[in-house]
Amino acid sequence: MRIKPALYGALVVGIFAGTIAIAGAAGAWQTTGRTASGTGSSDGTGAGSSAALTGQTTTEIKGWMAIGDVSIAWNIPLAEILAAFDLPADTAPETALKDLESDLFSVSSVRDWLDAHARDAATPTGSAAP
Amino acid sequence: MTTLATPRPRGTFGAIRRPRRGLRSLRGIQGMRRATQAAVALAILAIALARTFSTTGGGPAGATTPEALCPFGGIETIGTFIATGGYVPHVHAANLVLAVALLLVAFFARGAFCGWICPLGFLQDLTSGFGRIVKKRVPPVRRAVRALQIRARGLARLDRPLRLLKYAVLAWAVLGAAYFGLMVFRDVDPWIALLDLGRESAGFGLLVLGILLVASFFVDRPWCRYACPLGAANGIVARLSPVFLRRDVAACVDCTACSRACPMGLPVATALKITSVDCTGCLECVEACPREGALELAVGMPISFGRAAH
Repeated sequence: MRIKPALYGALVVGIFAGTIAIAGAAGAWQTTGRTASGTGSSDGTGAGSSAALTGQTTTEIKGWMAIGDVSIAWNIPLAEILAAFDLPADTAPETALKDLESDLFSVSSVRDWLDAHARDAATPTGSAAP
Repeated sequence: MTTLATPRPRGTFGAIRRPRRGLRSLRGIQGMRRATQAAVALAILAIALARTFSTTGGGPAGATTPEALCPFGGIETIGTFIATGGYVPHVHAANLVLAVALLLVAFFARGAFCGWICPLGFLQDLTSGFGRIVKKRVPPVRRAVRALQIRARGLARLDRPLRLLKYAVLAWAVLGAAYFGLMVFRDVDPWIALLDLGRESAGFGLLVLGILLVASFFVDRPWCRYACPLGAANGIVARLSPVFLRRDVAACVDCTACSRACPMGLPVATALKITSVDCTGCLECVEACPREGALELAVGMPISFGRAAH
């Protein structure tokens, strides 16, 4: 059976776009945030379920994550983190890291500090410094 | 075999078709194909720019990341998704949806994702087209490229074995993601490097991108031919597709225009059915064919055997 090229093109676009449309209608089209491996699948809603910090590796820290979540995941008092970066002591735990960025504070500096803190905690002497 | 001495009425089987050249080639099916490619590329560019200049950042409430629009992320995360229900980092539900869409297109329309939708393929097409214009308008460049092609003629025998490389890349990417729980291919992915231009260091992927763009000047679709793991995955499913190109020897005049037009270098002119996993469904061969009905799309048994183009 012969297929006209125009029909072929329409088939390609239709299948591809149609799949996306069906996924969108079913709530499975999620393009922001992420669900980390092993923490369960997305609930299928448009917002999805964001990754929970595990405290295993600093590479999972993202700018949109809250400083309070970092404190909990790495089991470091929030006050200590705030003091290390000269941030106001009354900073709300739900403040996103990217909202705190300054000359002294950035997501990468937090990662480096946590890595150094972990190394110092593993050795008998020394203390973490930004 | 029909000869040029036996003219047929226009539009009938075996009738002569005047090939469209230059901008006139964008009329008809090629215009539709290029418009589709351009629309996808521009949409992703818009999303990438929105992400770069976003004030809301990433996360669940943030700007869409263009990485969410790559089907290969879905293929890389399949192992993790089946085992745990989750995704490897940088992958979203949209990646899985697009992977499903790609595989459906591969089954129903063979390699058409590569020829109609993939923005990296489109970029290579643009680069190759630019190269053709330069070679045509600048004689010293044309002569230099021609001299280089003559010197490198012996490398043509590497074409077939090199086409297997993309399957090795696919295996490494998929198995690596399943084993390590992260996208091992990401650091060398030229598409990610392109998306990350102006945002952060793209690493080795930027080098790969540069190499493939330079190579596109000399060879059509070098990434697709030799290294694209997404094309490899697409090809595995496309092998089962009931849709293929068929060459009618009664109408064919053996001009080999189809083989010369094929961006993937397939020997279309010597095949009865074009069922190669490398076929991108671009229909350039159909467009180049001067005889009505000599080359056309058909539906038949999947996994075709016989004298097919590989």
